[in-house]
Amino acid sequence: MADDKDVLRDVWFGRIPACFTLSPEETTEREAEPYYLLLPRVSYLTLVTDKVKKHFLRVMKAEDVEEMWLEYEGTPLKWHYPIGVLFDLHASNTALPWNVTVHFKNFPEDDLLHCASNSVIEAHFMSCIKEADALKHKGQVINDMQKKDHKQLWMGLQNDKFDQFWAMNRKLMEYPTEEGGFRYIPFRIYQTMSDRPFIQKLFRPVSPEGHTLTLGDLLKELFPAAICAEGGWHQR
Amino acid sequence: MSDNAESPTETQKDDPSIQHAATEQTGASDEKKKIDVLLKAVGDAPIMKTKKWSVERGRTVQSLAQFISRFLKLEASEQLFIYVNQSFAPSPDQEVGVLFECFGSDGKLVLHYCKSQAWG
Repeated sequence: MADDKDVLRDVWFGRIPACFTLSPEETTEREAEPYYLLLPRVSYLTLVTDKVKKHFLRVMKAEDVEEMWLEYEGTPLKWHYPIGVLFDLHASNTALPWNVTVHFKNFPEDDLLHCASNSVIEAHFMSCIKEADALKHKGQVINDMQKKDHKQLWMGLQNDKFDQFWAMNRKLMEYPTEEGGFRYIPFRIYQTMSDRPFIQKLFRPVSPEGHTLTLGDLLKELFPAAICAEGGWHQR
Repeated sequence: MSDNAESPTETQKDDPSIQHAATEQTGASDEKKKIDVLLKAVGDAPIMKTKKWSVERGRTVQSLAQFISRFLKLEASEQLFIYVNQSFAPSPDQEVGVLFECFGSDGKLVLHYCKSQAWG
């Protein structure tokens, strides 16, 4: 899998064109122009929107500015979800650019986590990596890596450096050939209309009889509603 | 997050979704609305007198952390860190039911808590 460089690069370099507009509720000293930005699908909103914040702070008084938060059509955007997931979940059927509204007050405490600094994003990202490795390798690979290797993983994401990131991530994507796959597949299924944030369960990539299982097998077992009776795909 | 001064007994009455766990477990785990959580202290964190709790699946890590903080009568300024598998800190909005499904063993989810980052 780590040999499929073209696919890995396409995933890494996926971008979503976005247009950021200041909420009319905000108090400004003069009119705020919208700000356009290409967002990396694999990154996090708070990691890539410093320029957005700087742009709008220029037209605002310091006393009117609290923690910036983003919203799409009334829904606060959870910065701790990858950008690609947020877009696919909320706006994939709408025309580009993705129109995001920027706020600097009335932080929605019940919907969003605070993000005081990049170290908060780093801690969240590393926890996700560790949780995934707990499922893939009982955590053995991530625990055997040194602190500087963890740092390189994070810096690769932060600085959009594919080679730097994958030099470390390839270790996390390997498994013994005799096993045929990871211990469990780390996955999450997000739904637009659901009372729960996502579906996450244990799923072995190889059947008890030794057959390699596919994404379709996973969905059939854990989310059959995604697959029509005719064998097609439901738009969700 | 709102942090009111409450006595421990009050928090139990206010939190019907968190109860002392029964010692015997019967029935398929999928059908049970609650899962068993075992809380273990790390470092200088106070040890809970009751360690085993029955928690509703939909309860979040953050609300469980708030419950533990109130139960231990921690200061509002004191943080609480929760870890799974002594290795990663789940997101505050993560449901304990999902953690139990993926990381539970022997019918319970073991969570370590401490006042400073242990496995950051």
